[in-house]
Amino acid sequence: MTMSTGNLSRLDPEAVAKAVTEFINSAIMARSRPVQPDDDLELAGLDSMALLKVLLFIEAQYGFWMPDEDLVAENIRTPRAFATYICRRSA
Amino acid sequence: MRTPRLRRLPLRGADLVLVAMQALWKHAGVSNNTLMVVQCDRPLDPERIRRSLDRFLDVCPWPAARLRRPFPWGKLHWAARSRAALIGPAVRHQRLRAPEALQAELEAELNAAINPRREPPLRLAILDYTPETAGPQSVLVVTWFHPLMDPRGGQNLLAHLAHLDEVDGRAPWGGTPPAFVDDPDPRPLRERGRLGRRSQRYMRTLTPVPPVSPGTGLTSPGRARFRQASFVGDDRGVDGVRSTREICWRLALVGRTMAELWRQRGLPDVPFLVPVSVDVRPKGEPGPTFGNVLAFHFARFRPSETADVAGLTRALRRQMTDALRDGQIDANAAAMEFLKYRPLSVMLRDLPGTATRETFSFNCADLMDFPVALEKLFGRRVVNAYHAPSVLPRPGIGVFFNRCGIKNNLVVSWIEGAATEGEVTRIVETIREGMGWQTAR
Repeated sequence: MTMSTGNLSRLDPEAVAKAVTEFINSAIMARSRPVQPDDDLELAGLDSMALLKVLLFIEAQYGFWMPDEDLVAENIRTPRAFATYICRRSA
Repeated sequence: MRTPRLRRLPLRGADLVLVAMQALWKHAGVSNNTLMVVQCDRPLDPERIRRSLDRFLDVCPWPAARLRRPFPWGKLHWAARSRAALIGPAVRHQRLRAPEALQAELEAELNAAINPRREPPLRLAILDYTPETAGPQSVLVVTWFHPLMDPRGGQNLLAHLAHLDEVDGRAPWGGTPPAFVDDPDPRPLRERGRLGRRSQRYMRTLTPVPPVSPGTGLTSPGRARFRQASFVGDDRGVDGVRSTREICWRLALVGRTMAELWRQRGLPDVPFLVPVSVDVRPKGEPGPTFGNVLAFHFARFRPSETADVAGLTRALRRQMTDALRDGQIDANAAAMEFLKYRPLSVMLRDLPGTATRETFSFNCADLMDFPVALEKLFGRRVVNAYHAPSVLPRPGIGVFFNRCGIKNNLVVSWIEGAATEGEVTRIVETIREGMGWQTAR
């Protein structure tokens, strides 16, 4: 999936949550253990390295790097939390 | 059950690195053992464990295999004879006279080096003792030759044994045993070769000078020792850092304690080189049991940079991000697969300093959560569990984290001569303080 950064203001939170979830399931999770948009990612087994992979995905797809100060539980706990952050940041 | 007369399992990637590192010390009788210590609330029945192990060998021979290499050009591999000819690992049962004897027994396990060419690559011990404040308990100690499997693999093995005990007589794993070893990398040889060459180039640029370590200059290493302490306390966000749970934060904190050691000893301010193991199993399921399913990232920072832990954490996170972005961690995994074509003596040639047996400045790893599925084991409740790997004389010291239930375990493993008891006490206390933990009761 590719997305122009020019379209960021029109991001749909549901679509972003779906994209983040799909990325996590294809690149990080075992095929038999997919996560859902509201699943706690730490409980699902994501470690520090896996989190960085998600950040790199966001950078590649949405054109920005999540700064250290935004790496708080509220923004990274679930795929939907990531999506909310991405949409807020892009608005 | 009919099985082939001889089965072979090649050692791969990180397994070979671990064998090659020990080979640097082949005349010093250095142990390559690693321990998993599981404390249970009541005494364990050794027979149940022996039965499970015996059933496990029906489906998977590797706990009873031997290390082989057709001299001198063949691949290092585990070789197992037919099921009928397999002799399982020992399960030793011992009653300790006093709880204080436990630590000495555990360190004896760590130092009684397994010779996988002549004996099974793992063994189990059940140590019974009676703490002052509770009734009789058992500690289950799984000791293995580290290249056989990584800590996660050790936990998987225990989970398989526990499952075989639970199903007692019924078909285990719903009739279909899981894959106990990882599949080979499916990518074409050409692509893996390109990644391997890229990793080689990268590794040659890691540090301008060979690292130094607390073991530098240690010519006659002493025994392997370890100290374990349990703490309670939640992870917390610190100065914009995601959490004290993050490996970069922990590595920065451990780096600060090491820098203190450097200052006290007048060691030079050359960059630390620290391997950060990356478990490459997909998340959410146990994955393979045998083989070290790992890739490595190499953290570099100067002792003088450790004064600002939060700042160093950010720098280490950037380093790790760059390594991921550039595909270096994946390339490292691919490169290690080619080690099987090299003699042991040249496997580590791409690491700086191995000519003088300087490998890394120190070891540090977070072995993550002990699986919830292992809350109960052979009919007993697991009270705590941790891993204690032996470290090589150089670096001579390693700090390892893991969590079991609400307990945060900290293990400092060292070689006598590379660090003192007093220094280890100081390291444990500094890390406890930095993590904001309290001693567990």
